[in-house]
Amino acid sequence: MTKTMMHLLGIFCLGLFGLTFAPNAVYAHGEKSLEPFIRMRTIQWYDVRWSQDKPRVNDELVITGKFHVAEDWPRAVPKPDASYLNVSSPGPVFVRTERYVNGQATAGSAALKLGGDYDFKIVLKARLPGRYHIHPFFNLHDAGAVMGPGHWIEVTGVPAAFTNPVKTLNGDVIDMETYGLANGIGWHAFWFALAAAWLLWWVRRPLFIPRNKMLQSGQGDALVTPLDRAIAAGILVVVPLVVFGAQAMTDSQYLNTIPLQTALDQIEPLAPVVNTGLVQVKVQRAEYDVPSRSMTIVTQIRNSSDQPVQIREFASGNVRFINLASHQANQDANQGIDDDTLVAPQGLSIDSPAPIKAGESRIVRLTGTDALWATQRLDGLIRDTDSRLGGLLFLIDATSNRYIASISSAVIPKFD
Amino acid sequence: MSVASHDILPAKAAIKKSGLPWYIRDLYIYLLTFAGLTVIYVGLRSYQGEFGLLTGLDSSEPEFKTYWMRLLYIELGALALVFPALWGYLWFTRDRNLDAIAPKEEIRRYFTLTMWISIYTFAVYWAGSFFAEQDNSWHQASVRDSPFTASHIIEFYFNFPAYILLGGSAWIYARTRLPLFAKGFSLPLTLAVFGPFMLMIAVGFNEWGHTFWFREEFFGAPMHWSFAIGVWFGLGVSGILLQQVSRLIELLDQIEDAP
Amino acid sequence: MATKALEVPPQPYTGEKARLTRAYDYLILVLALFLFIGIFHLHMMLTVGDWDFWQDWKDRQWWPLVTPLMMITFPAAVQAVLWSNFRLPMGATLCISCLLIGAWIARYFSYHLWNYFPINEVMPATMLPSALVLDAVLMLTNSVTVTSIVGGMAFALLFYPSNWPIFGMFHVPVEYNGAQLTIADLFGFQYIRASMPEYLRIIERGALRTYGQYATPLSAFCSAFLCTLMYPLWWYMGKAFATTKYVKNI
Repeated sequence: MTKTMMHLLGIFCLGLFGLTFAPNAVYAHGEKSLEPFIRMRTIQWYDVRWSQDKPRVNDELVITGKFHVAEDWPRAVPKPDASYLNVSSPGPVFVRTERYVNGQATAGSAALKLGGDYDFKIVLKARLPGRYHIHPFFNLHDAGAVMGPGHWIEVTGVPAAFTNPVKTLNGDVIDMETYGLANGIGWHAFWFALAAAWLLWWVRRPLFIPRNKMLQSGQGDALVTPLDRAIAAGILVVVPLVVFGAQAMTDSQYLNTIPLQTALDQIEPLAPVVNTGLVQVKVQRAEYDVPSRSMTIVTQIRNSSDQPVQIREFASGNVRFINLASHQANQDANQGIDDDTLVAPQGLSIDSPAPIKAGESRIVRLTGTDALWATQRLDGLIRDTDSRLGGLLFLIDATSNRYIASISSAVIPKFD
Repeated sequence: MSVASHDILPAKAAIKKSGLPWYIRDLYIYLLTFAGLTVIYVGLRSYQGEFGLLTGLDSSEPEFKTYWMRLLYIELGALALVFPALWGYLWFTRDRNLDAIAPKEEIRRYFTLTMWISIYTFAVYWAGSFFAEQDNSWHQASVRDSPFTASHIIEFYFNFPAYILLGGSAWIYARTRLPLFAKGFSLPLTLAVFGPFMLMIAVGFNEWGHTFWFREEFFGAPMHWSFAIGVWFGLGVSGILLQQVSRLIELLDQIEDAP
Repeated sequence: MATKALEVPPQPYTGEKARLTRAYDYLILVLALFLFIGIFHLHMMLTVGDWDFWQDWKDRQWWPLVTPLMMITFPAAVQAVLWSNFRLPMGATLCISCLLIGAWIARYFSYHLWNYFPINEVMPATMLPSALVLDAVLMLTNSVTVTSIVGGMAFALLFYPSNWPIFGMFHVPVEYNGAQLTIADLFGFQYIRASMPEYLRIIERGALRTYGQYATPLSAFCSAFLCTLMYPLWWYMGKAFATTKYVKNI
């Protein structure tokens, strides 16, 4: 009833503001406001996958992925001694039932290590029907929300079907949605009733002007009657009795209660995945051409592996520039690219596209040109206090082995 | 235009028509204002319910500009029109002959001032309680990315100015229609109106802090305490009560009782 | 007999004057209702807010310390006016009732209806038992000093046991992914919050064990001590704001 009335009023307001009823749902979540140098050089996400697009209420949705903690961590951002792997959704439309980082279950906050490599798995359970854009993201203490890639998920079914059973250590199965609610409302109602009775006891008599006048004329004692005093004395006896009695009853009903848990998980990084040393990448110069929205990065790449490698992708702040030639040649490695809205259609331009031979060291000029630099507000970098670029450069050999380098460099803007 | 006390005494015919006792002649206007404000606040909340999660999550999206920035401009425009008109009305219809005010009329005006302050506290409720705590819940569903979020556009840029301006209206009413308030500035009324005004100033500190220093939504953070200090001044209302009560006792002694 | 017991003390007005003063009472009560919901609730949410908003903030160390300390403020200030000038011993109960009305409205309409949090995750704590006792102590003693010491201490000491029947059951342990958590912790983990990551919680870190396991009583007594100081401080602040001065310049 309340919801229906508010719904109608909301629509009424539309008319006042001259708007239509069916706007397009936006997919962004405010992630672009965070300074580009934080998005590029803290948590570097890749290989993020969603297990399905259309769960029903109560179905599981599993998000998996990997991230590298950049070595070139910005000075403006506190080190990730406390961080929290979160999910961006419009409120708890899902519940998070499990979460793993490097295979380790974690329910609290975690400390990360600079230069570390991690994988993660988040298990969600659909709670409310609707179409939502879901991202994994990291809350970094005092730094903000560093978003991973997002994906549209459509939850079907009815909200009333959702249940969230949990088994306690003493073997009871409870539903988190309703647990303790009736008891809590009951106690609040009980104390509200007593408080209302006390207030009404006083409010029923003439109040401000008459009582003040009597007090001023020395008749203050008449304003509080013996019965008032008896009731007040009764309060001093009955209220503590009820309070301590109820506490004792609660203690006897719930014998084994524990305090809130506060562990900070120390999660060891995986064996190095990024910057393994097999393929070393150094940036010699990076330039951003403002009018053409084009970033050019001059890199020196040394291939110390025993296979020729070619550049496959440069990813920065979730925007991805794919080497289209490599893309066509490696269809099996393309999962997650075709439906990613932050892949630049023009791809990554490379001045010497031939594979870099084993043992070869080569200067390679990479150019990523796309409006995404501007629409994702990454170009704000050139006007920031820390105008350094960061990102992951992916290289691949003939057997689809990947070599990933986390690169960073100062950026020189070209304004015209 | 100037109006003297005797000119704005309630006409007997009007009182009979309304059926209200002389001292609460403005009761219907008071109740209508309550109803009007309720419709506005519930309407704004309903609008948030319809479009907050749909179009209000990211300030860089075109839909945000259509659905939320436009609302901001409408709010500011409405406030800019209504309150100068209201304050102008209160000023230009002021009583220029307060020395000649009859006791009954002064009592009646104290009742009307109480209604003004009551309307002010009603707006303080929506700004200080409902929409303020709602702001915390909103920031658990969205990532703050602008000083103009779907929550702040209503809380900071409509609710705050609205209650400040309503408090100012009460202050002007007292200053222009009640002898004691006209002869000197009532300290508690001034505190009760100007203290909460400081919340508007504290918005600047809040936005600065969230932008440059504190990204999460820890509501009890010291950065938010300047808001709390601002509302302590609302306790000045008790001083207004005491000023009113002592004057009303004097005035009641000056009039004849009726059955 | 019962009717006689309910009789109110004599009052100085009759007839129209009595009706007029009663109408004034109602106006002031409506004014006070919204005023105290508005200002006291804002004060509460910006000082103890997070401890009151979320199940997984209601710990044994900070919650029972901070909540009474910040909650005794407005009751003391309002008692200073209502008792001293009107002999009305209801300032604390009025303030806390208003606060809870505002909190419940916000939890239902904002957290639940708008942003989908289950209400049991965001239930407010109650301080009404403490408030009733504070009003009764002031009325029976008519003394700021005794109310500061006895009332202030009772106000704080009653807080945790008053709320344990509501929140104790959320401290039942569950095994979750190989770790022990309370149900309250589980709410924080399961129901996704964008801007309240776990590391922000200011809760007991397990360093209050000098005297064994008495974390809660130690916090409650610390709060009781501080409330005995906070009460008179806010009593006199209430008095200061209740000035009846008219000044020449502002």
